[in-house]
Amino acid sequence: MAILRRESGQACPVADPDREIIHVDCAGHTYPDGSIGIHDMCFHVLSQEIVALCGPNGSGKSTLIEHLNGLLIPSEGKILVHGKVLAGAEKSGLWRVVGVVFQQSDDQLFAPTVLDDVMFGPLNLGLTRAEAGRRAEEALGAVGGAHLVHRLPNYLSGGEKRLVSIAGILAMMPQVIAFDEPTSDLDPVHAGKIEQIILDLKARFGIGVVIATHDLDLAARIADRICLVKAGSVFAEGPPEEIFYDPDLIREAGLKVPSGIQLYLDACRATGTEPVRRPVTREEIVAALKEIRGGR
Amino acid sequence: MSTSPVSSHIPDLNLITWYAERQESFLSRVSPWTKVALLVLVVVAVTVVRNPVILLGLYLAVLALYILARLPVGKLFGWYLFPLIFVLSLVGILAWTQPGTPVMSFVIAGFHLTLTDQGILLVLNLSEKTLTTVTFSLLFLMTTRYEYLTGMISRIFPSPLDQIFLMAYRFFFLTLDMVGSILKAVRSRGGGIVRGITTHATLFAEVFGLVFIRSFDRAERVQKAMLARGYTGSFAGATRIPRPGIAEIAALVLCALALVAGSPVASAGGW
Repeated sequence: MAILRRESGQACPVADPDREIIHVDCAGHTYPDGSIGIHDMCFHVLSQEIVALCGPNGSGKSTLIEHLNGLLIPSEGKILVHGKVLAGAEKSGLWRVVGVVFQQSDDQLFAPTVLDDVMFGPLNLGLTRAEAGRRAEEALGAVGGAHLVHRLPNYLSGGEKRLVSIAGILAMMPQVIAFDEPTSDLDPVHAGKIEQIILDLKARFGIGVVIATHDLDLAARIADRICLVKAGSVFAEGPPEEIFYDPDLIREAGLKVPSGIQLYLDACRATGTEPVRRPVTREEIVAALKEIRGGR
Repeated sequence: MSTSPVSSHIPDLNLITWYAERQESFLSRVSPWTKVALLVLVVVAVTVVRNPVILLGLYLAVLALYILARLPVGKLFGWYLFPLIFVLSLVGILAWTQPGTPVMSFVIAGFHLTLTDQGILLVLNLSEKTLTTVTFSLLFLMTTRYEYLTGMISRIFPSPLDQIFLMAYRFFFLTLDMVGSILKAVRSRGGGIVRGITTHATLFAEVFGLVFIRSFDRAERVQKAMLARGYTGSFAGATRIPRPGIAEIAALVLCALALVAGSPVASAGGW
């Protein structure tokens, strides 16, 4: 799959009708103060894929996520779920399809206990208390937070709070989970745990995952597809090995090439080697660096 | 999360919750419903009883329970400051107007001020009543897990009061934490040093103004996160609360009977 560049006004075709869960078709949203949140936005999520929305602060990543969940309704364009265009009231019911894990866990955990908080979503779906409780315990177990069930959110560490936030969404069993800056403010160990959970969501639960981030190292490690966002629109998308080896595109998005890839490119330059391979993950980069060393 | 209390005279919510969650006291094993009923009986008792000796006995009994529950007594005495100021602000002037046997008198700016035995009794009675209720309330809060408290709130209070109580508690912590962070930021740059009442008052007004604005902002984000999970205006606590056993019910009945039987004597005023 090559890089797909998109100009303003261009059509927004369905990518894969069998796997596509949600499709945002040329959506636009202007805030009451006149600032543009998203503009001519074309975006989709497939089942069992991790798609990274990469862009600098204020580029429209969070606004797009709020549209995916129905917190914001686009003032123009359409949103389709499994190919069906959502009518007026259906748009605000999108929370059943797409769950959002917010950047600040303290904003998401409002209930008195962890169990209450994780049960909140399932109860809103209309489940009985017993069923909601069972789902909550399963979700906490799935993220490695079973021991937190009776704890108070006030006394959890930042990493534990993030786990509970994810469990609160997973318990609702959405088809897509969108993470807004999933590893920001976390220590490397907890960040690693969250990364593993995101990979599990895709592999074990078949969930489509969206991560909004400006941490391109994270995107390089786990994403299947990269969408570059600028001024409220996705202007380019493609697989990481294509996107991250196009420095002009990365610069245009106001970002920097992931450090591992930059290291590989620097090593190639220093040894006069042509970067024929395009390693993205840590393992691939290590193998490629070994190859350069062996070739010297 | 900041764990330092705002003042040693304001009950520290973090510490209260820590004791409640620790569940080491024998009172932690008593049903929360029994403790609520006891709290009601204590409030009725301090309302009915007027005899200062019986009130003192009641206060000492509650204090003994507090000590037996291995709760921090030193801190409790620190927390008494504001309730006592409250009592004095209510009856501090009234005490000088009570009829009775004069104990002391002054002449200030041509005014004769006389403190009688009844005036002293009034201050004493109200202080004992207040401290008994404050001590038992803290005892209740420090031996009852927060999930039981919220469970009871959602069963006792009508909506939307239950919603307010259920959600307010956690954000009280977050707001206190926010105040702590702002004060730290102020102090770290040399602010907060007492240079005069006006400067200090202005500084604290600014801090609380900022906290108010930030809290409003946070409330909006919290609401957004709740809507994202389908919130439609109702939320209930999920915890099952242990019911009182036969022994606890019997003890409650005995306490209630003792209160009813003793009320004619206890409600008589005087020494």
